[in-house]
Amino acid sequence: MDFFGAQEHARRQSRRLLWLFALAVLAIVGAMDLVVLGVLELGADPRHVASGGLLDRNGPALVATTLLTLAVIGFASVFKIARLRAGGAAVARELGATLVPTDTRDPLLRRLRNVVEEVAIASGVPVPQVFVLEDEEGINAFAAGYAPGDAAVAVTRGALERLSRDELQGVIAHEFSHVLNGDMRLNIRLMGVLFGILVLAIVGREVLLRMRGGNNRNAVAILLIAVGLLVIGYAGLFCGRLIKAGVSRQREYLADAAAVQFTRQPEGIAGALKKIAASQGGSKLTQHDAEEISHMLFGDGVGYSALFATHPPSSIAFAGSNQASIQTN
Amino acid sequence: MLSLLVLLGVLIGVGLWAVGIYNGLVAGRNAYKNAFAQIDVQLTRRHDLIPNLVEVAKGYMKHEREALEAVIRARSQAVTAQDAAKANPGDPATMAALSGAENQLTATLGRLFALSEAYPDLKANQNMMQLSEELTSTENKVAFARQAYNDAVMAFNNRVQMFPGNIVAGMFNFVAAALLEIDNPAKREAPQVKFG
Repeated sequence: MDFFGAQEHARRQSRRLLWLFALAVLAIVGAMDLVVLGVLELGADPRHVASGGLLDRNGPALVATTLLTLAVIGFASVFKIARLRAGGAAVARELGATLVPTDTRDPLLRRLRNVVEEVAIASGVPVPQVFVLEDEEGINAFAAGYAPGDAAVAVTRGALERLSRDELQGVIAHEFSHVLNGDMRLNIRLMGVLFGILVLAIVGREVLLRMRGGNNRNAVAILLIAVGLLVIGYAGLFCGRLIKAGVSRQREYLADAAAVQFTRQPEGIAGALKKIAASQGGSKLTQHDAEEISHMLFGDGVGYSALFATHPPSSIAFAGSNQASIQTN
Repeated sequence: MLSLLVLLGVLIGVGLWAVGIYNGLVAGRNAYKNAFAQIDVQLTRRHDLIPNLVEVAKGYMKHEREALEAVIRARSQAVTAQDAAKANPGDPATMAALSGAENQLTATLGRLFALSEAYPDLKANQNMMQLSEELTSTENKVAFARQAYNDAVMAFNNRVQMFPGNIVAGMFNFVAAALLEIDNPAKREAPQVKFG
C-alpha cells in the first residue's frame, strides 16, 4: 500500500482547496465593491454626475469598501481564533473529558495510555495529554490543541470498550496525524475566517432590523448596502463551509494514510471504521457543541448532510487498501 | 600572485566542504546512537517485566517448569546482549547478537503464553493481565523505536557510502552501522479481556 503517495495526494488536494478558500474571500470583497458601486451609480443625481470614468468617480469609495470589508473579516477572525486557540487540554475539559493520570491502574485506561505512548514513539510526536469522554457510548476520538506541544487526545468510553488493542492503536495514530500535520491549527484558522464572513452578514441583518422610517436617498442606499451585506455574507458563508468541509475530508484521508504509516498495520484502523459503521450509536457524540472539534473527530460526530460532512462517508475504502476512492475524490 | 590566491580559495572551499560532510557524518552517527538509546530504554523495561511475569505464572503453572526456566535463561542472555549492544550500538556483531537473543526471548515467551491457554485462572489473574498488557505495549514500543533506529541508520549509511561523502568517511573511519531486526511479537495472542 502506498501510504506516502496517498498522503501527498491529500496534501495537494487540501492546498488547492485552501487557495479556493482565499479566492472566496476575495470574491466576497469584490461583490461588496460591486454593490457599493451600483448603489453610488444608480443613486447619483444625474445633474451632478462628476466627469471622468466609473472608477475615477468612485475610487475612494471602493478603496474604503475593500478595506472595511477586509477589516471586518480580519478582526472578527482574529477575535475568534484567539478564543479557540486555547490549549488542547482546555478544549477537552470544555467538552467534558476527564484526564487519564499517567499512573492509572484501570486496565482499559492503562491500555489507552500505553497505546498513546506507543504511537508517540512511532510518529515522533511528544506524548500529549490523554483524556476520556466517560459518558459517550459511541466510538469516537479527537485531538485538540493549537500546536503539537499543547495537544490533547481524547477517546470516548465506547471506543475504549468496543475496540481491540490494534484498532485503538489505529484510531490514536489517526489522531496523531492531525497533531503532526497541524490540522487543528488549520481548522481553527478556517473557522475564524468563516466567523469573519458571518459577521458581515450579521452587520447587514442588524442594520436592516434597526432601520427606522426615513424615506430619503441615504436611507435607500443604506438599505441596499445592508441587503448586499446580508446576501453576500450568507452566500460567502455557504461557500466557505463547503470548502472547509472539503479540506476536512482531505485531512481525514491524510490521517488514515498516516495512521497506516505509523503503525504499519492497516487492519487496526480498518477494523475501527468497520465497527463504527456497524454499530448502532456509530460515532455520534451526545454533546451539542461538538462542531468546533468536528474536524478533529475520528468519526463524524455531528451528522451533517454529505456536502458539509467533515468526514468522508467511509474511509474504509482506503484502509481496506482500495486506493481508487482516494484518486477520484 | 593571482593563481596563488585562486589556489588558496579552492583549498579553503574544499576544506569547508569537507568540514560540512564531516559534521553531517557526526550528526548522523549521533542520531542513530540516540535512536538506539530509545530502543535500549524499552528493552530494559521488557527485561524488567519478565521476572514478574514468570513469578506470577509460577503460582499457576507448576508443571511447566521447563518453559518458565527457558524464559528466564533467554532473558538473562538478552540482558547480556543488550549491555554489549549499548556499549557499541550499530556494530554488526553486537546488533546480530542482540537481535538473536531478543528473538529467542520472544520465542520462549510465545511458548509460555501458548501453554498458559490451559490455565484459565492464570489468564484471569489481575496481575497477569496487567503484566501482559505492559509487555505487549513495551514490545510495540521496541518495534516502533526500532523503525526510528533503522531509519536513522539508513540515513547515516547513505552518507557514509555515497560519493563523495565516502571519501571523508574513509579518512575519519566512519563505518556503516548495522540495522536491527527483531521479530514483532505483537501478533502473539494477548489474553483477551471481555466486557459486558
